[in-house]
Amino acid sequence: MPLMPKRVKFRKTQRGKVRGNALRGNTVSHGDFGLQSLEGGWLSAEAIEAGRITATHSVRGEGRLYIRVFPHKSVTSIPAETRMGKGKGEPEFWAAVIKPGMILYEIGGLPEAAARDALARVAYKMPFRCRFVARRPTVG
Amino acid sequence: MAESVVLTTEKRDTRGTRTARKLRAAGRVPGVVYGHKEETVSVSVGADDLLSAVRHGARVVDLQSENDLQKAQIAELQWDHLGIEVLHVDFRRVAADERIHVTIPVEIKGIAPGVSAGGVLDQPIHTLAIECLAVNVPDSIRVNINELQLGSAIHVRDLQLPPDVTALVDPDAIVVHVTSPQAEPEAGAIPGGEQAEPEVIGRKAAVEEGEEEK
Repeated sequence: MPLMPKRVKFRKTQRGKVRGNALRGNTVSHGDFGLQSLEGGWLSAEAIEAGRITATHSVRGEGRLYIRVFPHKSVTSIPAETRMGKGKGEPEFWAAVIKPGMILYEIGGLPEAAARDALARVAYKMPFRCRFVARRPTVG
Repeated sequence: MAESVVLTTEKRDTRGTRTARKLRAAGRVPGVVYGHKEETVSVSVGADDLLSAVRHGARVVDLQSENDLQKAQIAELQWDHLGIEVLHVDFRRVAADERIHVTIPVEIKGIAPGVSAGGVLDQPIHTLAIECLAVNVPDSIRVNINELQLGSAIHVRDLQLPPDVTALVDPDAIVVHVTSPQAEPEAGAIPGGEQAEPEVIGRKAAVEEGEEEK
């Protein structure tokens, strides 16, 4: 079963809009390399799981994979051929709200070529354009 | 130790988003110079020169203005959301004989025998906060992992720091260690993913109260 919260205060959430760029969660902080989203949208828990499976198969037990996003948002839908009204639909899946610039996955303990290959495979599973990034140079 | 880098600065009198954007479009980065209880000065530096200096590991640079040359530490960089362009830079004035706090990268060298034995190399600390002389900032701290076995770790206290350099983090903190590989969870076996639907906070209590009323 894909990721979802253990406890929530409300089962259903409003849809909202993905506005602006990522001002947090846009740096590689745990591993050495990361996969950065270039577009905004919803990343379903199934897509996160698909990326995780792809990355773990690709690295074959070497290195460490970090998933930087979590599906906090429930997305509801009403069944087909249902008449109008009768309230909001039931939660269908859980999704993470992604803004441009967010780091989705990180990989550590692998050489760059292997990390690039693994994250390129993960990028195929993502519903938006992504790019491979390394750590930013440190100052201060 | 990185060679001394000279950045040519221009004083800027205008402020605000519009002028900053115009500066960036012209290939310059707005910045500010402060410290040593002197006047705070708004400046701009060439974007290519600054990025080149940062990528080559410069921490302390010489700022060449119209009148003088002063030494300054790159205190902070503001990046755009994709981490491609530098939006703003903070320079803190330093003296050559002053001890400063800087963050430098930790470089891992060698191949750990523990990794060959099936372990996974994990590096919790990628950057190290240190105190050193402004003119003697090391480029990086190199950690040799050629003797790192499965289950063993290198702590901050084990690091061989250059003379006059002191680490500002917990000496017992782990810099790098080799751990046993995590068993790959099968699809559907993710922690926290066992339940079909999340528990709703307060719902159970409300239901019980309703039953009591009946």
